[in-house]
Amino acid sequence: MALAERIDQAVDWDVPEEQIGLWQDAWHRFRRNRLAVLGTVLVIFLVLVAFLSPLLVHFHVIVDPLNQDVSNVEVGSGQGGHPLGTDELGRDTLSRLMYGSRISLSVGVLVQGIVLPIGLAIGLTAGYVGGRIDNLLMRFTDVWYAFPDLIFVLVLVSVFGPSLLSIFGAIALVNWVNLARLVRGQVLSIKEKEFIEAARASGSPPIKLIVKHLLPNSLGPIIVTLTFGIPQAIFLEAVLSFLGVGIQPPTPTWGQMVFDGYEAIYANPTSVVFPALAIGFTLLAFSFIGDGLRDALDPRMRR
Amino acid sequence: MAVIAGRPNRGALLPPRFSAVTESRAGSLAIFVTRRALWMIPVVFFVILITFFLMHLAPGSPWDRGGGRQLSQVVVNNLNIKYGLNKPEYQQFLLYLWNVGHFDFGLSYQYEGKTVTSLIGEGFPYTATLGVLAFLIIVPVGVGLGVLAALRQNTRTDYITMGFATVAASFPNFVVGALMVVVFSVLMAKWTQHAFFLPAADFGIDDHLIMPVITLSLLPIAYTARITRASTLDTIRQDYIRTAWAKGLSERMIVVRHVLKNSLMPVVTTLGPTFAFLVTGSLIVETVFNIPGIGRAFVTAVESRDYPMILGTTILLALVVAIANLIVDILYVFIDPRVRLT
Amino acid sequence: MQLSTRSRSIAFACSGLFVVAACGGNSSAPSANLAPPAQQILRVNTVVEPNSYDPTQETYAYEGSVGHETFEALLKPKADLSDVQAAAAKSYDVSSDGLTYTFHLQPNAKWSDGKPVTASDWVYGYQHFLNPALAAGYVDPFFDGTIAGAANYGSVDVSSASAIDSYLSGLGLSAPDATTFVIKLAHPAAYFKWVVTLWVAVPIRKDVVESAAGGTFPSTDTTKPEVWANNAKTIVGNGPFKISEIVSKDHVTMVPNNTYWGGAPKIQQLIYYFIADGNTAFSKYQTGALDIINTPVADVTVVRGDATLAKQAHLYPELTTFWMTFNTQKAPLDNADVRMAFAKSIDRNALVNDIEHGTDKAIQSFIPNGMSGYDTSDNAQAFDPTAAKALLAKAGVTASTLNKFKLLTRNSTGNKTLNQFIVNQWNTNLGLNMQLDVIDSKTVTSRIRKGNFDIYGPDGWGADYPDQQDFFDIFTSTACHNLNWGCPTLAGYDALVQKADTELNQTQRNADYLRAQKMLIDQAAVGFMYQQYEYDLIAPYANVTRTAFDDEYTPGDQNYQSAYITAH
Repeated sequence: MALAERIDQAVDWDVPEEQIGLWQDAWHRFRRNRLAVLGTVLVIFLVLVAFLSPLLVHFHVIVDPLNQDVSNVEVGSGQGGHPLGTDELGRDTLSRLMYGSRISLSVGVLVQGIVLPIGLAIGLTAGYVGGRIDNLLMRFTDVWYAFPDLIFVLVLVSVFGPSLLSIFGAIALVNWVNLARLVRGQVLSIKEKEFIEAARASGSPPIKLIVKHLLPNSLGPIIVTLTFGIPQAIFLEAVLSFLGVGIQPPTPTWGQMVFDGYEAIYANPTSVVFPALAIGFTLLAFSFIGDGLRDALDPRMRR
Repeated sequence: MAVIAGRPNRGALLPPRFSAVTESRAGSLAIFVTRRALWMIPVVFFVILITFFLMHLAPGSPWDRGGGRQLSQVVVNNLNIKYGLNKPEYQQFLLYLWNVGHFDFGLSYQYEGKTVTSLIGEGFPYTATLGVLAFLIIVPVGVGLGVLAALRQNTRTDYITMGFATVAASFPNFVVGALMVVVFSVLMAKWTQHAFFLPAADFGIDDHLIMPVITLSLLPIAYTARITRASTLDTIRQDYIRTAWAKGLSERMIVVRHVLKNSLMPVVTTLGPTFAFLVTGSLIVETVFNIPGIGRAFVTAVESRDYPMILGTTILLALVVAIANLIVDILYVFIDPRVRLT
Repeated sequence: MQLSTRSRSIAFACSGLFVVAACGGNSSAPSANLAPPAQQILRVNTVVEPNSYDPTQETYAYEGSVGHETFEALLKPKADLSDVQAAAAKSYDVSSDGLTYTFHLQPNAKWSDGKPVTASDWVYGYQHFLNPALAAGYVDPFFDGTIAGAANYGSVDVSSASAIDSYLSGLGLSAPDATTFVIKLAHPAAYFKWVVTLWVAVPIRKDVVESAAGGTFPSTDTTKPEVWANNAKTIVGNGPFKISEIVSKDHVTMVPNNTYWGGAPKIQQLIYYFIADGNTAFSKYQTGALDIINTPVADVTVVRGDATLAKQAHLYPELTTFWMTFNTQKAPLDNADVRMAFAKSIDRNALVNDIEHGTDKAIQSFIPNGMSGYDTSDNAQAFDPTAAKALLAKAGVTASTLNKFKLLTRNSTGNKTLNQFIVNQWNTNLGLNMQLDVIDSKTVTSRIRKGNFDIYGPDGWGADYPDQQDFFDIFTSTACHNLNWGCPTLAGYDALVQKADTELNQTQRNADYLRAQKMLIDQAAVGFMYQQYEYDLIAPYANVTRTAFDDEYTPGDQNYQSAYITAH
């Protein structure tokens, strides 16, 4: 039975011969997780594609994504020399997908890099300190949920002009609230466990408490939120580009390809399905890595 | 707002029982709810403040048209007078607050002569129906799949359920919605010679509901399933579960009595805002399926700079979110008895 | 000139671009296979909901889609657009000095509640429309150089009821008897007969307005005069249909007005849906839930490739022309050669055939095909990249100067696609490296109104009525920042257009307008690109009569009075 196996693994009945460090241990476990490895390989593949696509265009392996082949508008896969078809301006979908990985990957991943510290900081503070601070911070998130982000973005662009930084800022500002509330919830429930009380009784400073004990025990949902945030950020970029923030056409991004391809769903479904699949694979890859990371870093699974 | 429990912990062998914990809570619950209700006033005030001034900062006026012939300056001047936009901003703000106090949310600019209240009142039932239905599906399906996948971690069941969840989450819902319409409406009408097919759009309390509700539910189900799975995995590894297992309890008993309740914390945290956003509507689902709800209202209001409508829908969202988060915080107490309200 | 235009229109009409067999076609008599009344339901997707059900407050032709059916203006265009014909007015006389228009109303015209339509209803309607406090959107053609006493519309103090009242009673409107409505003009205007065909110029029932408002109200009140228009039960109109149900943002249902003077329509339910999403409308049409839609551009190839759908699709011209606007305040765009270079480096045929899939037609002139004044003899702006490059060289302008210009683009899919194509054409054919500036629509409008842009497009104009005055007034110098954004200065243009506007001799008018068009084309005031057509899908059992010009949002007939469903 599954539970039985879980518990068996959780308790290591053998006495280890030597102590190895947390990180080395984590790395070994990660490596053994086949799905996590698969995910990593996928991500490395995507990064390679992102870096190499200009070279591939230079050596005529793929067509220039900006080239408008107007006699071949909205064709399906394999027609007119276009392996994955073309879009509404006759541009090759395959090369646009490959170029799109550059922007979409950066947006998806980097934004989470901004969301993580903000969400963590606020969630941890609210959950750990409690009382008035918690109340204030949570009412602040209440206000932020209702925050009119569309208008905020419009104002942002009119003040700072469209730029990559505006995108990152705009998306991150919209997304940190969920993470903060999640972290706070986790902290609340873990806070009163005995080992925390024990650690506190032994005089550990709060920061050490948080980093060494609270965080590792609440990793699961945090990682899930971050990985789900990646496709969310990719789509948000497309929505924002609609408003004039950041990436201007004709630079391809997966999100915009999906939006534009949606209109042609009857005429050429592949123009919307392929970019969506690309986003899907990215999410899958990062989910596997995320799961692997959580398993690897779980202190209860230490050997 | 939760603080440390006063009750001494009897060790981690078994979590404290549910009923003993709630007895002393009834009175403090009422106080808690009242206090949070009062807190909603400053929350709504700040939402109005921020929205109001941001909205007037945004470039473009309500009278700038999308394309083609523009209104002449003469007409624009008269329109500004008609809707009070020629007054200084702080005056407009105070006037708005005064009206809100009397539950008068103003007239829409887009729809001549219609009040914001009536527009939201007309659209809300459609949106809420879809949202509530979707929620009623999301909770059992999402949580159920997540627990199942966690208990069967790294088996085929796990891969299939989580794979489905991932695919559902990576396709944006307007694409899923449109693909469903293509297959289940248009193609099916062709294949069955119009004998049976799902309606392509519009609202109705019949098979019109099927596709919009599914489209609305997919991403939240995926996310809920994943969070539940992650949290359940964390819970299973706890010592007291190991103890229960060692004591010989069946898997089902363990799951129902211990695992479920204790994994629910993060799930409930995310379900709160999920419910709020479902009930205040999805722009995308309402556009694809042509539902006259309020989901589109906010975005179209921003696009047309319909200031009263922007404020009205934002206030509604703020209230719904505040209430949802309040319910979530109350649920925390019931789920994890160590958490207490003040 | 008149004759040739008319015969050209008829030939045009008979070439299959109209559905109805007005040209001696072979449609069987309608009564032979008319569907029973229970099946006489016509469902049209009009895409956008009107901002108001009071026609006087509807600013755009697409908003007037409902007003057209529930109310009726004094006159309406003839099917071939050569002139106007009777509508709510049986006939009209113009005094010899061109200043007095006497309209003889239909003797048995009735409102949808059975009461007779009187001339005083017309006076009240025009006054309601011209009340400055109500700020109706489309008043300009009525006060700007036409109706006597209306010119100071903009300076009336809207907070003073007496000021408004004296303004309104000073207008040149009168009702000498119950069936005669007289309008006096300040200056002669040959195009005024077209102005009165607009959907905004309708009679309004004073008693209905006041009863819905709960009594009389001062002229300064801005909400009470519109209460009647928000409830289907209180909307009383003089048109062939009346509103039975309004579901906001979803649809509006109209039923026949049985007291309409022209006879009740055969359609028992006319339902307009407001579906903005092209895929949704297309899906609904294919499942039989809609009868008339405008085919989304992306689905045109699907329709053409499907044997059944292709038979149901019809291509109609719209009296709408599109062009690219250059901001002449930014050097070197003030140089006509530079502008001409841009105009000559757009491959219009590739644009309309490959990108737009033949749903538009290339044009290098101003007046669209289908109205008088359409003339393609001047092809100064024809596609010629070599000549274009030569013009740039002649003007001494280098790529680096032009590369800093951005093409301001609205954030809709159609505009983004079009502009990416255009910019690519300029970059390829002129050796440039220009970029787009895609911004949300309102911001774009606010920027072009202030002249804060380099190049903007697609910019265009759709006829509100098929008279050239409606088009040529756009480029006068007073229309700068109001009707046109690039503000090109053309020597002699203003005087020429002013002369043509007030000219009563039609031949002379046409000649004057033609000279004005030549100025616009030869000096590349803007870069003309294409005329908009519309590719509509009409269910085979829906028989509709088509007027020749239409707004893109209201496909098919604007006059469903004579439409009917055949048994199926």
